Amino acid sequence: MSFCFCLSLSLGGLFFTILQHLTRAGWSVVVRRVAENVAGVLPVLAVLSLPIVVAVAAGWPDSIKDVYEWRGFDPAAHVAEATPAATAHHLLLKKQAFLNPTFFTIRIAGYFIIWWWLVGFFRGNSIRQDETGDPGLTSAMQSRSALSMVLFALTTTFAAVDFLMTLDPLWFSTIFGVYFFSGGNVGFFSLLALTMCLLHRAGRAQKALSIEHFHDVGKLMFAFIVFWAYIGFSQYMLIWYANLPEETGWYLIRQEGSWKLMSLFLLLGHFVAPFLALVSRWPKRDPSTLIAAAAWMLLMHWFDMFWLVFPHAEQSVVSADPRLDTIHAAALVWTDGLQCVTCLLGVGGIFVWKMARNMASASLIPTRDPRLHESLAFENI
Amino acid sequence: MSAAATSPKEPSVPRSGAGVRLCGLLAEFRDPDALREAARRVRAAGFSRWDCHSPFPIHGIDDAIGIRLTKLPIVVFFFGLMGCLTALLLQWWTNAAKPADYPMVPTFLQGYGFLISGKPFWSFQANIPVIFELTVLFSALCAGIGMLVANNLPWFSNPLFNSERFRRVTNDAFFIRVDSTDSKFHLQQTQGFLASLGAIAVERIEDTIPTPAETRLPGGLVKTGIVLACLGLIPLAFIAVARSNKSSSPRIHLIQDMDNQEKFKAQAAHPLFKDKRAMREPIAGAIARGDLREDDRFYRGYKMGVDPKTNQPAPVYFETFPAQVPVNEAFVQRGQQRFNIYCSPCHGVDGSGRGMVNQRALELGGGWVQAADLRDADRRSRPVGQLFNTITSGVRTMPPYGDQIGETDRWAIVAYVRALQKAEGAAIEELPEKERSALRKR
Repeated sequence: MSFCFCLSLSLGGLFFTILQHLTRAGWSVVVRRVAENVAGVLPVLAVLSLPIVVAVAAGWPDSIKDVYEWRGFDPAAHVAEATPAATAHHLLLKKQAFLNPTFFTIRIAGYFIIWWWLVGFFRGNSIRQDETGDPGLTSAMQSRSALSMVLFALTTTFAAVDFLMTLDPLWFSTIFGVYFFSGGNVGFFSLLALTMCLLHRAGRAQKALSIEHFHDVGKLMFAFIVFWAYIGFSQYMLIWYANLPEETGWYLIRQEGSWKLMSLFLLLGHFVAPFLALVSRWPKRDPSTLIAAAAWMLLMHWFDMFWLVFPHAEQSVVSADPRLDTIHAAALVWTDGLQCVTCLLGVGGIFVWKMARNMASASLIPTRDPRLHESLAFENI
Repeated sequence: MSAAATSPKEPSVPRSGAGVRLCGLLAEFRDPDALREAARRVRAAGFSRWDCHSPFPIHGIDDAIGIRLTKLPIVVFFFGLMGCLTALLLQWWTNAAKPADYPMVPTFLQGYGFLISGKPFWSFQANIPVIFELTVLFSALCAGIGMLVANNLPWFSNPLFNSERFRRVTNDAFFIRVDSTDSKFHLQQTQGFLASLGAIAVERIEDTIPTPAETRLPGGLVKTGIVLACLGLIPLAFIAVARSNKSSSPRIHLIQDMDNQEKFKAQAAHPLFKDKRAMREPIAGAIARGDLREDDRFYRGYKMGVDPKTNQPAPVYFETFPAQVPVNEAFVQRGQQRFNIYCSPCHGVDGSGRGMVNQRALELGGGWVQAADLRDADRRSRPVGQLFNTITSGVRTMPPYGDQIGETDRWAIVAYVRALQKAEGAAIEELPEKERSALRKR
């Protein structure tokens, strides 16, 4: 889960970098290097994905079969007919062509190879430009950014499906990739705002970064908060309206017991509160408020991931041992919850370490980008 | 150039009208930097009704003029809130409010209460898209119109356009205009002040004072307006006619909507399928929701067993009422009501088999079988399950009633038939005390 959290942040960074080239943006040159550095963690995340990928590929430890139900699927198993289990069996059999360990591993490997290449291309060329000052590099990146964006969209969508949606192998939502992407961008822009403000406070890039850049990153953060809510509601709305049993189950487990409160908390904390807090101009232009809002949104994005992943963990714990009543199961999940906080500290620590190393390895701003002066003089009306 | 700066050129304005009036002073500056510097000093001098004009936005000019941030966003926010509430109210009123609770509202303003795919009438999920749309609509309209209002737009004519020099403002000229309504405005002093700011030219902005004839609306405009207004009534007239139209010919399909659809109707032929029918058979073994009917006792009154004599499969009828029905007085009364509706035409209200239909059919002859006396020994000895099955499936000329009467009601009729059987030839001692005294009084 923490891995998906960090992955979504890095992908957000990659998206931002590609987007700036795609749109030939001038204002963002001074903040682009931070995005490149965040995206630059992707190779490390490839290593961090190994526990999941290896476990799925090897089918060991056994608990992976509870996490990814389809991994524990036995096509030869006999189940009584006309039961829900038989329906599940039938559907899993149909999905086996896609949901099998070999193809899963190949896909994940493919995503990371593509991301690795994209990061290498955009970040590498950007750093090379620091030395050479060659404006041709900018146009080279620009000309490949459209194709890169397509690659990015496809890989991100499929990665979201593979890592998160298959936690419930019977459920499907065609908008899920966009949901993951929107949440990831909320996280990324929060991280970007936080990093910029803290850098500025620490006395770095004083002349380059100004309140105008904070304001714009704040605006993007706000926009993606709204976009996240829009996508989240679109997904919910269609499922609610159609009311098909195979789709509603996913929301049903999030509407019962303590998950109901958590879902409401997600709605309030991830959308309503930050919407009202950031809708005005001044919070985005005040570094202290922006830092607080960004930190809160990072937390909420993590909680969003928790909300995506953990109801299924609880389900599998309950179904694995029917003797456990729900209270015990919930208690068990909460100890797991503690584990996932420590996981966040671990994976997040590695993430920040790599990001910091990326920052140290190159200048904090692309010093010889042809549009740097445009960015330095940037001003909001 | 210095001569031009000190003695303002006479504008070539007046073309007609009752005279000219002074609107303000226009000073031209060489470049954006000069303009910005001059603006700073005009502001410092305390002028309040003045503005800068330039071909493109100039960095820092806002600060130099001292333009405050617009308050429009706050207004927009509240209009957005208003849109949100309007949408909420609209949807509540049209679908969730019960018209019966608001009799004072005229019928054509009352809501409908459509039941849509079994959702509650008042469900926030369905409301959110409309709330979203109306919030955006209200905010956008408010922002657009508010921007126009705040900028005094539309403004068809401005005395600045009388200035020949000002025409270069969209090309390469930079101006400061000081309005004559400014409290600090004084023609000579302000002229001198603007010149001292480094203006390359200062000129007076004058406007013609229109004659009364000029302020009148052109006659053609008024006439055109009247004609257009009359033409605008034509669609309304059509609607009014259509509302009271009694014609039985099919209506004109201006918009095809969903009236004629590319689809096959249930009983139509279909060229694609082997049996040429558009309606498809359900998949073998498919059961509609709620149609499983597993409980033999309740749904059928018998289960399949084996006849001990012939060793053939035969129905075994249940002797007692199923647990789903409460056999009590209300239940029997329900049965009486149903019996009188469905059974009494043939069997008679007393179950004797002397119903009106039966009597008439016997008179007519033609293969009618006498309706059974439900109180004879044979019917008394039959298990309730068998009576139930007879109602469900029919017997001899009696048609099946299973499709018309629900299970519970069929059981209620069975209970009432049992009551009729008991009532026939019952001794007075068997009645409750209350009924007995009522009978004695008669």
